[in-house]
Amino acid sequence: MAVSFADVTKRFADGTTALDGLNLEFELGEFVVLLGPSGSGKTTACRLLAGLEMPTEGRIEIGGTDITGLPPRFRDIGMVFQNYALYSHKSVYENIAYPLRIRKIAAAELDQRVKQVADLLQIGSYLHRRPSQLSGGQAQRVAVARALVWEPTICLMDEPLSNLDALLRLHMRTELNRLHKRLNRTFVFVTHDQEEAMTLATRIAVLKDGKLVQFDEPRAIYRQPSNRFVAEFMGRPAMNTMDGMVEDGVFRAGGVTCKVECRDGPVTLGIRPEQIGFGQIGSEDGFSLTLDVKETVEPDTLLIFANDEGTITVRTQRDCDDLAAGQPVNLRFPMEALHYFDARTGERLR
Amino acid sequence: MNRSYKILAVGVLACILVIALTPYIWMLLTSFKGRLDILSPEPRWFFTPTFDNYPAVFIDKAYLPLVMNSLVISIATTVLSICIGAPAAYVFARNDFPGKEDLFFFFLTTRMAPPISIAVPLFMFFTLIGLTDTIYSVVIAHTTFNLSLVVWMMRGFFAEIPKEIDEAAMMDGRSRLGAFVRVIIPMAAPGLAATAVLCFILSWNEFLYAFILVAFEGRPLTVGIPGLITPHGTLWGQVAAVAVVATLPILIFTFLVQKHLVRGLTFGAVKG
Repeated sequence: MAVSFADVTKRFADGTTALDGLNLEFELGEFVVLLGPSGSGKTTACRLLAGLEMPTEGRIEIGGTDITGLPPRFRDIGMVFQNYALYSHKSVYENIAYPLRIRKIAAAELDQRVKQVADLLQIGSYLHRRPSQLSGGQAQRVAVARALVWEPTICLMDEPLSNLDALLRLHMRTELNRLHKRLNRTFVFVTHDQEEAMTLATRIAVLKDGKLVQFDEPRAIYRQPSNRFVAEFMGRPAMNTMDGMVEDGVFRAGGVTCKVECRDGPVTLGIRPEQIGFGQIGSEDGFSLTLDVKETVEPDTLLIFANDEGTITVRTQRDCDDLAAGQPVNLRFPMEALHYFDARTGERLR
Repeated sequence: MNRSYKILAVGVLACILVIALTPYIWMLLTSFKGRLDILSPEPRWFFTPTFDNYPAVFIDKAYLPLVMNSLVISIATTVLSICIGAPAAYVFARNDFPGKEDLFFFFLTTRMAPPISIAVPLFMFFTLIGLTDTIYSVVIAHTTFNLSLVVWMMRGFFAEIPKEIDEAAMMDGRSRLGAFVRVIIPMAAPGLAATAVLCFILSWNEFLYAFILVAFEGRPLTVGIPGLITPHGTLWGQVAAVAVVATLPILIFTFLVQKHLVRGLTFGAVKG
């Protein structure tokens, strides 16, 4: 049983193309995160799956059944909205019970199911309240409960955590993770936050300009980004990338020199801030850069170096008390940590 | 400073209250006055009350059915205006289509012409379809001006409800229409109530169309009042009695929904 987007294109009346020939397939039971910057088409993909928008071209299938033109209510999909979209005139209990009431579930079973899902989400103690009396986190849980109570095949979540404060967001993230493991349902989660994507997803679909850039497990996306965009989008601070030339196995760009395993010619070199090492002065693969800014983010320290090509950020746990801005520091790019991208297209070279 | 401001505010409010209420209280008193007290050259605040005016007009002159006519016309107009206007307003609030704002403005323009200018065409139209001197003609005529009010007011109320609510209802298992009827309408209920009361009041108070379209059977209360101006003089006591009864529903409704009414009337101004 799989969910698939086949050549799905969505053009809006104003002429913008939100999705451009999207091909995506995932299995039921997965926690798929649609990740991308704003305008990448991730929310549109989610709404197309929900049936709230109709694709201009292409087909969407669930378990081999074409659901492209089906209204939302026949799709067996629940959804959590960014602004929660709770019914303000109903109590929390009635909000959660609403999908069951529409399906004419008998009173006893309805009550049992509402209480069960309320317990699961720890909102059992304020079932009698109105949505206006809830905090953001509580409202969020009610919205999730409403989407799950009728046990749909797929639960869609459109940036559900973005209205919560940072601490609560972390907490809800853990809760969602637990919920997915416990219920073993399909979750499709839209976000622009790569950290959320990394922690929640079984697989991440990275979108850019309406196109799927990479669809893989979080670890693979982090370690083997398929192009420069994904490399720079995933990870905080972002991966350092620099355009330079390779000659005889040595890469050179704006003060950076290192040995590479790459064909000669122009190349974009990438390295994650935490993988940059400190070199010995005079060592063969080391080079020296002037420290521009030092930021302490306990337990790490961020060292930012400015060179002719831009900036290079280093994240280290080493004690940096002896370093001050303006001081030269010897750095080393370990060969096994390097990523190579085509200087022109940005595609991964190997 | 704060205290003197308060005193000033109370003073101003008291003045406004006196100016607004004096005619009403005078009317109320007149309805309980005998002919001599009414026609006395100097105003009489103290007099022996009489209850003769009410039975005289409502029973002897058979004005009671006119109250019923007024009620039927106002309620029917309100229901019709809401049933047609609310879905239209919802579409204006939710959907985009070519010429939307022009069409919306057109609804407003239907209220720009002075009512008298379309009274005669309306009369001719209803004569053509054989509806003159029936309650139906008045209901339809009143709906014409209430419809624009409903569309204008309800669009704002619907726009205030996030469209995700419609979508959530659809995801929960409702059709588009089901989401509107079962979720959006109940959520817009306060606005709907305010709009309905305004419709009711406008229809209840309307005189011109009713006067032109019906002469006997379907006469509402407003049209009945001129009948009390007789060749022997105006029956002021009875006019006042009818007027008191005529203002009762308005008073009751306004008290019931005044909170929503204020919100409904100041809607465009405070929308964030």
